[in-house]
Amino acid sequence: MRLSCQQEDLHRGLSAVARAIPARSALPITQHVLLTADGDQITLSATDAETIAITYTITASIDEGGSITMPSRLLSDFVATLPRENIEMTLAERSRQVSLSCARNDASIGGMDPDDFPPIPPVDDSATISVEAARFRRALSQVVFAAAADDSRPVLTGVHFAIDGTEMRLAAADGFRLAVHTLELPDSASECSVIVPARALAELTRLLAEAEDAISVTFNAAGTQVQFDLGHAKLVAQLIQGTFPDTQRLIPEGHTSRTEVAVGEFNRETRIAQIFARDGSGIVRLVASPGEGGAPGRLTISARAEELGTNEGEIDAIVEGEEVKVAFNGRYLREVLDVLDTDRVAIETQDQPSPGVIRPLGDDSYVHVIMPMFVQW
Amino acid sequence: MERLHDPSLIDQPVLVGGHGRRGVVATASYEARRFGCHSAQPMSQALRLCPQAIVVPSRFDRYGPVSRDFHRMLDETSPAVESVGIDEAYVDLTGLEGSADPAAARRAAEGIRTRVRDELGIAVSICIAGSRTTAKVGSDAAKPDGLLDVPPGDDARFLAPRPVRELPLVGPNFGAALAALSVHTVGQAAALDRDWLEQRFGRAGIVLHDRAHGVDPTAVRPGGRPARSISREVTFSNDVTEIDTLHHTLRRHAERVGADLRRANRRARTVTLKLRWSDFTTLTRSRTLDRPVQATSALTAAGNELLAELFRSQGQRPVRLLGLGAANLVDDVTQLGFDELRPEEATTRRQEDLDRTLDSIRKRFGDRSVNRGP
Repeated sequence: MRLSCQQEDLHRGLSAVARAIPARSALPITQHVLLTADGDQITLSATDAETIAITYTITASIDEGGSITMPSRLLSDFVATLPRENIEMTLAERSRQVSLSCARNDASIGGMDPDDFPPIPPVDDSATISVEAARFRRALSQVVFAAAADDSRPVLTGVHFAIDGTEMRLAAADGFRLAVHTLELPDSASECSVIVPARALAELTRLLAEAEDAISVTFNAAGTQVQFDLGHAKLVAQLIQGTFPDTQRLIPEGHTSRTEVAVGEFNRETRIAQIFARDGSGIVRLVASPGEGGAPGRLTISARAEELGTNEGEIDAIVEGEEVKVAFNGRYLREVLDVLDTDRVAIETQDQPSPGVIRPLGDDSYVHVIMPMFVQW
Repeated sequence: MERLHDPSLIDQPVLVGGHGRRGVVATASYEARRFGCHSAQPMSQALRLCPQAIVVPSRFDRYGPVSRDFHRMLDETSPAVESVGIDEAYVDLTGLEGSADPAAARRAAEGIRTRVRDELGIAVSICIAGSRTTAKVGSDAAKPDGLLDVPPGDDARFLAPRPVRELPLVGPNFGAALAALSVHTVGQAAALDRDWLEQRFGRAGIVLHDRAHGVDPTAVRPGGRPARSISREVTFSNDVTEIDTLHHTLRRHAERVGADLRRANRRARTVTLKLRWSDFTTLTRSRTLDRPVQATSALTAAGNELLAELFRSQGQRPVRLLGLGAANLVDDVTQLGFDELRPEEATTRRQEDLDRTLDSIRKRFGDRSVNRGP
């Protein structure tokens, strides 16, 4: 293998695939990245050999094809620090030593047999759907964070994809909150219901930042894998087996109060309240009061830190229905407000203590439900 | 208190507390105190000192409502009332209207005494002072039915002749250590060098120096300090070996500790088991739980597990005393979850709802009105 490529290309590729590498692993080779040089490109691959594999292709000038694995951490840190110039790479096949030179810097890195690298199983194209990259990225960013971080119920660590006709419904829930985003697909697809690990989708969201056009999503016939093909990058994930709970039932029907506020102000006041809430149990209290006699309604956002201090912020609100008093974990509020891209948002509540249903105004594609905290008022 | 219910007890030496052979005196009437009886004394010892005393069992259900009325009257006097027990409180009188007039505080104190006597039939003793320490020592000195007024600045002079053990900070051990140094009165303590006291007793030495000089900057904290822990324990009349009896006792403790937690809107992160073998060796074991608990069932389960662990590691022997405590208390706040996704938490919540229902039945119809099946 003998080739040359641009430092920034290799750096970009290595950082993209490195995210698949597990922090710890019994298999040393999973700490490596696989480089395969062929034609006029290098394909970089990394996997945790369990749930996720990422491949990334960069252009290069290849004098002699071949492949080798190299320790990912060492290689990416090294390449990241090099100047933006041409990198020459030569593999001594027998010793598996790779010589890298860039500007006046030379390195030699020991590799491992590429045949020992865990195979990344190909995903057959039984059902491929096409989805627009930017919209898909936005949908994922509004849903993925709501998946469970602990794996006491494995299905909740994933995002549920329910595809039916031209509709793709993405849902995630961790037991305390639920996020649902419904996307319109350009073409009708066959019915499908799978659970994709949230971790893989978080990586996908990053990769999607540089994707422009449509990407294709393929689920294999056995229902065990999904591949997201972005052209220059591919992400393959093992699907989570099991039945995802019926999330539609978790969204309360109807409401007794509806509070409409500006997202920016609400987010700012929640951010402030959270500073005071963090020493307690993270409780942020909301009180929405309807306006009286022509005066506008208001929403107060407050928190207290036992023995430290208290905070109360107030913003304008359009409040329909009765006065509302509800307490939420401040982090849950913040995380949803951070991913809204509309100017205004409505919070719907029922009897107390009531789940809060959060709907961005003028955007029916998204709904978020946060379970309240039971507190003494 | 007991005299309210049974006027024949008036002027008699009365001991309130457990009657059994290991009972303890909860309180003693002033007539009984003359014989050397005092609270926290074994009942058997108190009866040796005062054989003619009338023993009345503690009936906490009777004291609660009276205590509430008493505190309500204090609350109506001043916004800053710190409760330090069912029958004791600090009241900040500095904010009263016309407080520049020293007579205003005296009028307020007289007002409380008259109201409590007229409406509750109980004598209260009050000391008006510039600091908490003096107020506490002074109100004890004013007992059984008096009003003492220590002008601000006179604290040290007032305290000097009093026994040093009367200072709230001096417990039995500290008192004994001071007695060994021939320090018996507050005045004698005040004469000791501050640095020397610190060297000898650490922080407690400094605080003793300050208090003995009448210096006590502690403010009255409205509402009282929230309890740091809640516990129940029982000394068995006969040492217990049957595991069922121990489990039953733990559940009864859990029932009461749980009720206290629920009443105070608190939850416990830590559950503690206290056990004394027949040879008086005392052990405690505690466990900190993932989520703060309040349910009787959760407290019972934690107690049973701690007991089993203790038996596993120490072997099983006859038990003299068994106690269950809740510590690391936090506010009663719970993140509610979707029942469909968190079935185990829905179960906990149902148990807590059941506990609240039982609590309210017991509040209306008495402690024994409803019990759990085996």
